[in-house]
Amino acid sequence: MKRKILAGMLVCLTFVVFLVPPAMAKDPYVIGFSMAMTGRGSGIYAPIKDAFDLYFKEINAGGGINGHPVKILIQDNAAQPSKAAAQAKKFVTQDKAILLMNAALSSTFAPMIKVAKRYKVPIFFAGSVCPKEVYPPNPDPMQFCSTGFAAKYDSRFALSFIKEQSKEPINLGLVAMNIPVSRGEIDFAEELSKSMGIKVSDKEAIPPPTPDYTPFATKLKSAGANWVYSWAPWVTEVKTLEALRKLRWKGKYLAFAHIQAEEELARLKDDNFYVFGTNAFFSDDLEIHKAIKEASLKEKTIYPHTKLVEGWIAAMVLEEILKKVSWPPTPEKVRVAMGKVKAETKGLRGGSLIWTKDNHFRTINYYRVYKWDSAQNKIVTVKDWTPLEVK
Amino acid sequence: MAFASGYFKTTYLEDFRLIETRSRLVCFFVLIAMLAFFPLIASPFLVDLAVQVFLALIGAVALMLLTGYAGQISLGHAGLVAAGAFTTAILFKEVNAPIFVTLPASGLMGAILGLIFGLPSLRLKGLYLALSTLSLHFIVIYLGAEYETHRGFATGILVDPPQIGPLVIEDARLWYYLLLIIDFIVIVFALNLVRSKTGRAWMAIRARDVAAEAFGIKVARYKLIAFILSSVLASITGCLFAYYRGFVSVEAFSLFMTIEYIAMICIGGLGSILGAVMGTIFIVILPYVIDASVDLLSMPARLTTYMFAVKYGSFGLIMIIFLVLEPSGLVAIWHRLRDYFLLWPFKHKSVGR
Amino acid sequence: MQVIVNIVVLGSLYCLICCGYVLIYRASRVLNLAHGEIMSLGAYFLFTVAMSVGSHPALSFICAILMSLVLGLIIYQFLMRFMAGESAFAAVLVTIAMGILLRGLTTLIWTSQDWYPLQYLGIENASHLLMGDGVISTFGIIAVVSFVVIYACLFTSFKFTRWGLRMRAVGENPLFASQRGIRLHRYYAVSWALASFSAGVAGMIQACDSGLNPGMFHIGLKAFPVVVVAGLDSLAGVIPAAFIVALVEILAINYISPQASEVAPFVVLLGMLLIRPWGLFGTKEEIERV
Repeated sequence: MKRKILAGMLVCLTFVVFLVPPAMAKDPYVIGFSMAMTGRGSGIYAPIKDAFDLYFKEINAGGGINGHPVKILIQDNAAQPSKAAAQAKKFVTQDKAILLMNAALSSTFAPMIKVAKRYKVPIFFAGSVCPKEVYPPNPDPMQFCSTGFAAKYDSRFALSFIKEQSKEPINLGLVAMNIPVSRGEIDFAEELSKSMGIKVSDKEAIPPPTPDYTPFATKLKSAGANWVYSWAPWVTEVKTLEALRKLRWKGKYLAFAHIQAEEELARLKDDNFYVFGTNAFFSDDLEIHKAIKEASLKEKTIYPHTKLVEGWIAAMVLEEILKKVSWPPTPEKVRVAMGKVKAETKGLRGGSLIWTKDNHFRTINYYRVYKWDSAQNKIVTVKDWTPLEVK
Repeated sequence: MAFASGYFKTTYLEDFRLIETRSRLVCFFVLIAMLAFFPLIASPFLVDLAVQVFLALIGAVALMLLTGYAGQISLGHAGLVAAGAFTTAILFKEVNAPIFVTLPASGLMGAILGLIFGLPSLRLKGLYLALSTLSLHFIVIYLGAEYETHRGFATGILVDPPQIGPLVIEDARLWYYLLLIIDFIVIVFALNLVRSKTGRAWMAIRARDVAAEAFGIKVARYKLIAFILSSVLASITGCLFAYYRGFVSVEAFSLFMTIEYIAMICIGGLGSILGAVMGTIFIVILPYVIDASVDLLSMPARLTTYMFAVKYGSFGLIMIIFLVLEPSGLVAIWHRLRDYFLLWPFKHKSVGR
Repeated sequence: MQVIVNIVVLGSLYCLICCGYVLIYRASRVLNLAHGEIMSLGAYFLFTVAMSVGSHPALSFICAILMSLVLGLIIYQFLMRFMAGESAFAAVLVTIAMGILLRGLTTLIWTSQDWYPLQYLGIENASHLLMGDGVISTFGIIAVVSFVVIYACLFTSFKFTRWGLRMRAVGENPLFASQRGIRLHRYYAVSWALASFSAGVAGMIQACDSGLNPGMFHIGLKAFPVVVVAGLDSLAGVIPAAFIVALVEILAINYISPQASEVAPFVVLLGMLLIRPWGLFGTKEEIERV
């Protein structure tokens, strides 16, 4: 009996594989988005789906862009490159997507970029770390990126911020997660510190599955660091800070503000914890923040509204791009439109996001530094929008 | 192989043949024709899927030889594949070596690592051996990550498509045919290997190695041969992986990849090359089947987020169902099906084959 | 001094996690590779209970512990019972598959966000000064205390109570034990429940100490070398093994490089397997020299 059930299930499964949905009708703008909804790092990438769902539901309800709805096909690649490759191929060949999007670990980039180049469909990195091919002076014509965090520029800003904030000689500790991207950036920060005359006393690369961050924090503390800079996924940044505080370390900590930052600042209530980032926090309470919050509460999104900013910005940029793509859309038109984008972020970033032919990252990257202020019991801006030109 | 009615071999040559009857030969040619025409009629997505199956098949056959036939449990398979991929990437980046150099080099690296992975097997069995291979896997991955970071390839190493003579193998169809040929060679090699003295020695070791030693089989030697051969094939898989994806990074070679390969051979059926083939097809296609079946039930955007976790979990669920309900794998199901038709109207096989 | 404190806390955590591995292996010769997932489920249970009943921290902990126990029973009753007679390899594969299933379920129910149960419990993870200049956090102390208490209970019950004796019998020779009238399934279920309980406690402590994030189940695998160094079926061996591995890891962090701490335990594992495969205190079995 058991065997018959199993045989029946197998037969059903084999039939299902031939019922893959047919190619989409040409009416909507079709965009293929491969993201890591499960698997490594999904905490940062999954909320982007919520943001996109909200944003484009509203757009489609209002008639779409240029009179056509926008259809975003979202697939989960679980941070696995082969899945990302297969999905990208499917989007381009079967679903006739005019644009590919990626929000996952950098290991999924190369296979998708290959597909993008092969089929001449542009690829938009929204939420994943920007590959170096989007930076000026000669970016890859197919690759574009709107993500906030950026290798090398972040550390340049961070170190200059530390230098100007500190009144005493700086003894800097550096913290990375033991993944190549984070380690590479911290290594770069180390070299940059030396050239800026900042003393680096300790550098840690913490492996991701660590039950206890205290040993690493112990090393930082005993090296005598009074400032610690960390550029890593949020979990490493914040757990190292907590371990340091448990060891009664009283120094200042600067970390990149990932999407979890805003909620965590309120939880930690740490006056010496500075976060720097490119996206405006909800504590600013701008119009756009109210809109996001309202939409998120109405649709009961899975992730809270504080995590939706990065996705919202990417959605805004996408809307800007599609507005310039006349009907019928082709990947080439999309690519041309992406080569001259000026997207208003309505205050979510320091200024508009501008893409040019020579710069697929942004011409100016604005940073802001926040921290918690116990006296006022809220998040305050330590340093307002600082432009960093990207050449 | 089973036969419907009385079929008797009268010469030794007939006994050696892999394809024994004329009807089987016809079936074989039909299969080859179907495989050859497949890319011309199928969508690029399906061709890509087929290429993935072919690529995984080499690794699955490698693991099947080691675990299915020789009975040595190895949890370090992903490490071996990674070693092959990294060898290719390193040779490509440092000295710009062509595929004629990287493929044998990967095989050589696989052989060396296979020797290292296999040495514990001389003292350990079963779970302990699995654990030693597991720790070797982590060490290989660590070394790969160190290379990546210290040489500045923080986001991974890019590899150009291979060039065989004037042909640049970039198109999915070219890959399909190349891999089809390689797979054919590997499968024929494996089928002959398990019929040979080495294969029989392995099966004896798998059954009870103390008894095998008593019979005069040099257990140490055959265990090492199993590890080395399996690792060579796994490293070749890694090399082809690197070229096909154009990209090598440690994150792709996690423990999950080892689990997938083990699932392939277990669900396929241990101790049979056909099992390796069936298991590979099943495991590679399963996520896409789940995707397609979930997409059929169109649901509101909110719930689709949950569906992703469901798809991930259902892989584990289906593995459990197979392991609990049918431990002998897909091959056992196939044999039951085939025997039903072969023996009809009889129900049971007579004694002897 | 701080280094010693760190080693003690880390070692206690490893002890708690590995006691589960040993319990299951000793009773049924199955290596449970989903232990990391069970541990993180314990932490998620605490979070869920804390969100609803947060005002009484003690009550929340007790509820979460009970839920972990029940989880172990459920896993045995509905899954591992069917693998009771099968080969060890198949059983291990089933645990791996179960781990994948549990991971999918946790992402489904609790999403991939980071959670901090301590927020809802109202307890503060204060740091306490010890002699010298060492500092230990509240939950570090709780980790050490619970390790001592749980192990003491386990040792006494295995040695002095009737069911402890029966568990040992089941582990030593299931055939004879069942002939004697000992219900195998019952004691296997108890071993799973205990393992899930101790893993759950370890998970809860980690969730309160540093936070609950979806990558927590990797720690189950990281604790593996401890079990092998101890001997897969030796509960007493886990204590020295955990501290040895914790020592190696922290020394690696301090003197080699932080990233080496990920691979150092596995090097110890490999060394142990090559020199003395049955661990420090395990029973010699299935290991033959060729």
